[in-house]
Amino acid sequence: MFENAEIQPESLPTVESVEWQLMDAKFIRRKLTESAIALFFLMVGTGGLQAIFNVTLPDENVNISLGWLWLVPLALCVPLFAWPLISVPKKAYAVRDRDIIYKSGVFWRTVTAIPFNRIQHVEKSSTPLDRRFRIATLQLFTAGGTGGDLKIHGLSTKTAEKLRFFILEKIGSSVEQS
Amino acid sequence: MSSPEQKQWRRTSPLAAIFYLGRIFEAIAKNAVQTFAPLAAFLVASGGSLATRIFLGLGVFFTITIISSVVRYWFFRYRITDDSVLIRDGVFNKTQLDIKFDRIQAINTQQNVVYRYFDLVTVKFDTAGSAKQEGHLPAVHTKLAESLKERIRRDRPVADNDESADEAPLNVRPILSLGRKDMVRIGLSSNRALIFLVLLGPLAEQLDNRVGEAIAGTRIETWLEASQMSLLAGLGLALAALAACLLLLMLASVIGAFLRYHNFQLVADEDVLRSTGGLLTRHEHSINLAKVQTLEARQNLMLRLFDRFRVSAKQASSGKPGRSKTFIIPLCTPDQLPALDKEILRDEFPDIDMQPKSAVFNAISPRYIRSRVLLGGILPVLILAGPLIALAGPPAGLLLIPWIPLVLLIAWILYKKRGYHICTEGAVLRRGFLGYRINAFLYRKVQRISITQTLLQERKNLATVRFFMASGTLKLPYVPHDLAKQLRDHVLYKVESSQLAWH
Repeated sequence: MFENAEIQPESLPTVESVEWQLMDAKFIRRKLTESAIALFFLMVGTGGLQAIFNVTLPDENVNISLGWLWLVPLALCVPLFAWPLISVPKKAYAVRDRDIIYKSGVFWRTVTAIPFNRIQHVEKSSTPLDRRFRIATLQLFTAGGTGGDLKIHGLSTKTAEKLRFFILEKIGSSVEQS
Repeated sequence: MSSPEQKQWRRTSPLAAIFYLGRIFEAIAKNAVQTFAPLAAFLVASGGSLATRIFLGLGVFFTITIISSVVRYWFFRYRITDDSVLIRDGVFNKTQLDIKFDRIQAINTQQNVVYRYFDLVTVKFDTAGSAKQEGHLPAVHTKLAESLKERIRRDRPVADNDESADEAPLNVRPILSLGRKDMVRIGLSSNRALIFLVLLGPLAEQLDNRVGEAIAGTRIETWLEASQMSLLAGLGLALAALAACLLLLMLASVIGAFLRYHNFQLVADEDVLRSTGGLLTRHEHSINLAKVQTLEARQNLMLRLFDRFRVSAKQASSGKPGRSKTFIIPLCTPDQLPALDKEILRDEFPDIDMQPKSAVFNAISPRYIRSRVLLGGILPVLILAGPLIALAGPPAGLLLIPWIPLVLLIAWILYKKRGYHICTEGAVLRRGFLGYRINAFLYRKVQRISITQTLLQERKNLATVRFFMASGTLKLPYVPHDLAKQLRDHVLYKVESSQLAWH
């Protein structure tokens, strides 16, 4: 029998009421390790530049010193290590029966929702550093997007795989008429 | 069952070489430097007088292009099977395209003067896939194009049964036609004139320098001095030259409009909108209305003066920004706009109103102005003021002062033009600076939706909503956060509960 029940706007499920899942606990450590590696290369670079250009020419009484260059890694030290501690807890996702919601951002806080029946394909990827911490990135692609339309970085490998299967199943089950 | 004809690979008419010639010239225009470099090298290396070398160079150039186009025609084969069109193309890089009938969204045709004489057309298949998957059948008989169109029509599940689809008379309704005056309006309001002007800027500068140099070393200077032409008169001459240039550009633009849209006719053929137009080359474009993602009505400064709109129906893009396939209705009156809206979005969006001055539009929050002024005005001034004063002295800092009121004025205009109308099935968003750009879309076609809040917006309980469509992104900035959340939940409900395909 044909039914056409009226839907009240108040009765619609709201995104606000979802239970947010935070990123994997190892993700902060992975981000901090990345910061440490970046800082290490920055210091090596600074040391290298100083070794090349820190020349004293006694005859002409000229001393080119690049000691101030160390201020760069020193200045970057705090944001490099503080940023993961601030930004990672702001990232969270929620999976509902018909869509996936992801929130992120410190200064620009964005909440994105993708219905499963609009997802074209799902991609799971991980860098060598990700694999060290058993972390993965899940990318969801919709039509008309330029890259991964929604990138959820910081899921445990297991969760990412489970989610991928779940979404693929959902994509397969959504049938539309033309 | 496939007939022997279906198994045979066929060539198109030899006049397809004209199509390839056009394509070669198009490619040359896009990569002018790379194409002409070897030719220039050849000209420099060869001996003889300048006239002989130019003659020789042009001869070589045209011989190569004509041979290339003939060779491309020779290697082009096609085959039409029960369910697809197969195309074999390429001389060195062989490609084979298999375009399934059920993937074809529309068949567009082009007919130049020569083709018209021989009753030939170039068929372009508009498919749902990427741009690479789009095929052409150059210089095929009109009857073949018509039978292909009929084939697509039959494949479309519009009628209750196949028999009725076969036998039903064509329900073709005229919607809009454009006359000669409209061609002039299209030409004058074309953005191409503006682009020419932008390009002309640096060219004019170069020209000015050259003319200056030339004048310095010739008798013209003496002549100018002799005639005691004042600076004002010189300026007048320059302005007259500019006006002449502008007039020429406008004329070129009007001629362009005649060439592209002459005798423009728009008809509705069941669920397909079809346009034909063009003076020398007749263009026939069609769009399946179910594939329309967003509808845009545009009014630039000239169109505002003419009280006309330019309407585009956008389909899904192939991924790259700005590459969405668009069906263009170059001109319509404000009275024709509602009928067009209803024709394109059909009865799915009954509350649609795309008139820019309509009272249905709600204003966004005036805080929008403050954020634009802060980010585009005050912040750059604060960053630039220190270095500028240090480098060029305190008076230089004064130069920055007019910047903030200018940004304020722009932000105020942008704010006044922003507007939104939220309906049950879709929304209409308005924006613009000198003109208007009004976008309408159905919620059920949204791909994803996001709500962003800056720290300032969060404090004032405001948010920016982005609707990601398959044809591009639409932004609704500075609306109450609660409204944004309600809208998002409603859009998600519409997308998730819809049983209709979005494409």
